[in-house]
Amino acid sequence: MEITDRMGSLMGWRFFSALVPVLCGFLAVMVSNLPLSLTNGLVPAPLLGLIPIYFWCLVRPDLMTPAAVFGIGLLQDIMAGGPPGIWTLSFVVTYAVIERQREAFAGLSGLGAVVGFATAALIASACAYATVALYYWHLPPIAPIVAELVVTVLFYIPGVYVTGVIHRRLVGPLRSDF
Amino acid sequence: MANGTWKIARRGNAQLPLVIVLALAVALVLLGRSQAGLFDRARTAIIDGMQPALVVVHAPIAQFDRWVGSINELFTVYRENLALKDENARLKQWRNVAVVMQDRVKRYQSLLHAVPDPDMHSVLSQVIGRANRPFLQTMILDAGSANSVKPGEAVVDARGMIGRIYLTGQHTSWVILLTDLNSRIPVVVAPGNHPAMMVGDNTAMPTLDTMSQVVTLHAGDQVVSSGDGGLLPPGLPIGTVVGQAGQYRVALLADAASSQDVEILAFRRPPEDLPADAQSQLPAVAAGLKPAAPPPPASAALVAPDTVAAKPTLKAAKPVKPATTPTTTPATTPATTPATPQASPPDTGDIPADQTIQDR
Repeated sequence: MEITDRMGSLMGWRFFSALVPVLCGFLAVMVSNLPLSLTNGLVPAPLLGLIPIYFWCLVRPDLMTPAAVFGIGLLQDIMAGGPPGIWTLSFVVTYAVIERQREAFAGLSGLGAVVGFATAALIASACAYATVALYYWHLPPIAPIVAELVVTVLFYIPGVYVTGVIHRRLVGPLRSDF
Repeated sequence: MANGTWKIARRGNAQLPLVIVLALAVALVLLGRSQAGLFDRARTAIIDGMQPALVVVHAPIAQFDRWVGSINELFTVYRENLALKDENARLKQWRNVAVVMQDRVKRYQSLLHAVPDPDMHSVLSQVIGRANRPFLQTMILDAGSANSVKPGEAVVDARGMIGRIYLTGQHTSWVILLTDLNSRIPVVVAPGNHPAMMVGDNTAMPTLDTMSQVVTLHAGDQVVSSGDGGLLPPGLPIGTVVGQAGQYRVALLADAASSQDVEILAFRRPPEDLPADAQSQLPAVAAGLKPAAPPPPASAALVAPDTVAAKPTLKAAKPVKPATTPTTTPATTPATTPATPQASPPDTGDIPADQTIQDR
């Protein structure tokens, strides 16, 4: 009986820890899209949702699946406003690129890791920009998306620290072997 | 080796969901283009649910903004004070002129029996959120459909127009700012009343597309709403013309970033009913001929041409020649019948006036 309880508890815990990356993605999207600004709208909100996607795609891709990325992107679209589906597509495309070059990205450390994330953010931003340009059939101004890209990369440093702590405490220290 | 094999196997498995999800994402973009309402409803539902929290959280943030702003203003307060005193003195003079002019306009209107300006109701609302995204610049107000706020209504602050409502929830509404990529406002530029379209492009100053190529605008010309389309009231102050990099732009009067209390103008010009056709006004009747039968409604003809379009023809033709009149003549001949009324005499006459109106 005790063993069964322990097994049940373990299974529940594992289930919860498997959901943590997706929940973190949702939370990051909610936080970054709160319609509140400390800078009076001067600085755009960062794409915080991309940080958990990038991090767990490298560390535990089995927990950050394409469907999860789709869900995070969908929430970003709903919360951010703008043309629907843009961020969903951008996040999924970025995920596809990271997933294909996973070993190269995962091998980066220090400043290289920031550059790696900047590359991923650049892919997401470029994809969003191109889709919006096609959507409206004219080129939108590039400055706002560049500003968002810069802010997102700056937020990666504290963001990845928090994500790392959550990963160590809740998800598990081991990197997936596959 | 085993590890490498596993990786390949895993990648092979992962390709399928990734491709499917990618296809779904593309489909979502296409769906969003045709069914944007789905996203809008979800968005308003979420913000409506968050509204009490937003109101609470927004207060300290607004206070923080004011505090930060006031630090910046400390350095310019003396210069600004002098400028404001000067401006205030000039504005007082203009106020007196405006009061006199308003009085005079009222007298002229009563002398000319002019149509009075339409009544305008307004809802005072507070800004509870702002979003500055690369492809959307918006603010969220704490008034929604429960306060009779409707999409399309103008939002103004004390200085001028800020934007218009584009989405309403139960207790919140979203404002599309004049600077937003999706904003297009019909305006007129004074002096000269040149019609133009003010188009937002996510920069601080929207561009101005004049309708005519030969129009030359000057820096400082006033830009106000034209009222075309009937959604926005005419004459709302918007900004002044600025020439920049070979194109006209508008320096907006209102500052959407600092506005806290705004007014939502409920301006609805009721659509005018077209006057009913008087038989005596038709040229055929004036010429002493029988009037032509009206064409059947286009939509009805598209839906069910055989059944709907044929109905009035059969009824109309009954008194004259029920068996021989074809069903298509009234729909195809009304334009020609006044000139050649004898060509189809059975189809043109004897349609009761009430039936004509009903068929339209």
